[in-house]
Amino acid sequence: MTLRMKLLVVPCAALSFAGGVALATSPATKPPPEPLPKHVVPASKDGNLVLGLCDGETSLEVEGVKDGQKLTREQAVRATSKLMDDWRKKNPDALWDDVPGPALAQATPPDAKKSPPPAPQPNPGSKPAGSAVQPGGVGAQSGAKAVPKQEQVNLQTGHTYGAYSERDEQVWADSTQAFVKEGHRVFHDAEALGGTVGVSCDMCHPDAANTHPETYPKYQVQLGRVALLRDMINWCIENPLRGKPLADGDPKMRAMEAYIYAQRKGTKLEYGKH
Amino acid sequence: MRLPSGVVTVLAVVLNTGVGHAAPTPSQASPPPPLPPGVSATLWRLAVPPGSEPTPEKVALGEKLFREKRLSADNTVACMTCHEPELGFTDGKALSEGIGNQKVTRNSPTVLNALFNATQFWDGRAGTLEDQAKLPILNPREMGMPSPEAVVQKVRAIPEYAAEFKKVFGREVNYDDLAAAIAAFERMQFSGSARFDKFITGDAKALTASEKNGWALFNGKARCNSCHAGNAVSPLFSDQKFHNIGVAAHKQDFVTLARKGVQVVRTGDEKQIDELALQTEFSELGRFLVTKQENDVGSFKTPTLRNAGITGPYMHDGSLTTLWDVMDHYNKGGVPNPFLDGGMQRLGLTEPEVDDLVAFLFALTDTKFDKLNKEQLAKQRARRNNRPERDTEVAMGKKGNLGDLAPNPDLNVKNPADLGIYGDVTPVAPSTQSKPR
Repeated sequence: MTLRMKLLVVPCAALSFAGGVALATSPATKPPPEPLPKHVVPASKDGNLVLGLCDGETSLEVEGVKDGQKLTREQAVRATSKLMDDWRKKNPDALWDDVPGPALAQATPPDAKKSPPPAPQPNPGSKPAGSAVQPGGVGAQSGAKAVPKQEQVNLQTGHTYGAYSERDEQVWADSTQAFVKEGHRVFHDAEALGGTVGVSCDMCHPDAANTHPETYPKYQVQLGRVALLRDMINWCIENPLRGKPLADGDPKMRAMEAYIYAQRKGTKLEYGKH
Repeated sequence: MRLPSGVVTVLAVVLNTGVGHAAPTPSQASPPPPLPPGVSATLWRLAVPPGSEPTPEKVALGEKLFREKRLSADNTVACMTCHEPELGFTDGKALSEGIGNQKVTRNSPTVLNALFNATQFWDGRAGTLEDQAKLPILNPREMGMPSPEAVVQKVRAIPEYAAEFKKVFGREVNYDDLAAAIAAFERMQFSGSARFDKFITGDAKALTASEKNGWALFNGKARCNSCHAGNAVSPLFSDQKFHNIGVAAHKQDFVTLARKGVQVVRTGDEKQIDELALQTEFSELGRFLVTKQENDVGSFKTPTLRNAGITGPYMHDGSLTTLWDVMDHYNKGGVPNPFLDGGMQRLGLTEPEVDDLVAFLFALTDTKFDKLNKEQLAKQRARRNNRPERDTEVAMGKKGNLGDLAPNPDLNVKNPADLGIYGDVTPVAPSTQSKPR
């Protein structure tokens, strides 16, 4: 490096430092962010309830139900599937997986005896992706008598923290499944979601179909900005469901994220994809 | 001891099949009894091998045997002598006493929730409750019976037992059935229903501000959750692993002791390990006695924290009298020794933080022991200014190894107790057990 270059480097460094300071301080002077766009649905002449679709454009007037009334599960399922049909007709080329519509029986909690098992719903006790439970390790059989048999097995050797047993892995798997199951409950429960019209997520996204969590972060036309999965969950809660958005850290939000990701197990991550 | 080894093989096979199948069909696994909040159906499924589910008859016989002093050589000591149900299934003593007031070298752990332990005893030398139940009866310092045969002979001679074993097991008294009955009784000693469980299910008023702060510290600065993590699926607050936290280090030269120990210990000989563990200086080698692995020297099983308030004194040797002492021990990073667990570092907890942690631990007691819990808290609090383990200079990093201190969490920004999820502690209703697990 020549002296002249060194001399050049110094002002550059100084400049970039100044730039860094400017960047770091700028948020303080930034005007408050614009409010997010909202889906304004056309008013009904007869004062009927008008449902909006999550595309932010399509809407549907529900005859016989006044604005401010809550739909029954049956009414909501019928209305949402009509909405979805309209949207599919308008957008025949849209990337959309054909899945069977939501069964009415899904309204009953997943535990209830008569509910048909939702298609790819993993069972509690099953192992999450990529965790083959290894036999051996420190477990129920690692008392004194079992030690000679385990000499070469993954005994608590080297360090305590690496020796995990089948029991540990079952606990991990069941803990994870409990989280997913809670998400399943919220996703299917219009009350828990806090909506005001009786619509729940599963009505347009049976078994979380077409939620495409693997494509986030991505630009969302409805929001006019790049969104994370939770931002879109909140969009749906605010618009089609007409509820209040959940905080990022809300246990219901986190459980739904867990459920939606669990439903797409094995799918390749492709951020930004449309 | 010819017979038991065969039995253990059979048991091991049964256990294997139980754990090996990720989703046994509902018909195979009989549903657990109604479990209170804070007791996990998953752990029940993992810990109760098919075929070992407690039946009312076995439990009743087991309880009788548990209280039976005639199982000891001089008819003075029963299981309940050291595991007194009224005292949270402990004896309240630092070290337990067997026949002839002989002291053993270990503290009596509680039977409450012992059914969920991955291994039994402080060093995990028994794999099952059945295996565990057989050893104290034969230990010379505990119940002192000379052999399983002698026990069987003695019990057979008691007419009520001869008849009851016939009724329950359909055969003559034998040592395995005796252990199975005691184990069945112990399998019903699950315990949850703490104030903490109320809190975690949404009753924010169930814990005081101090206890809530203790729960935050537990998951944050105090790093208790490194080994005592709990959630709804695994609510014991124990990793069921073995750690050297340096409790015995101040009275032992571990290196010399381990060298001597290697020459003595016959790995896999439960009876020998049992006697070494309870009667000799080798007791302090802990898990090493079982595995002969150097890194297990001085390591003991992480105990459950449920009911900790009523099951003191603490640690494998009962050397810590109060939970304040326990906090002091961890706050200074344990006692240095060559085998100290890498997770042991000073914590830098202040006095109010220590108080909050202790308050939280007392909230983990089953509410059926409320009275005892309050008494114990008062007793321990009275000793609050008597703190033999406290070393503020080390804890605060003014002396010794500075370690890397966990950050002091700002609860207004993020409460470490809110990270992830604890899960839903509402017990699984029996009707929902029919779905595939």
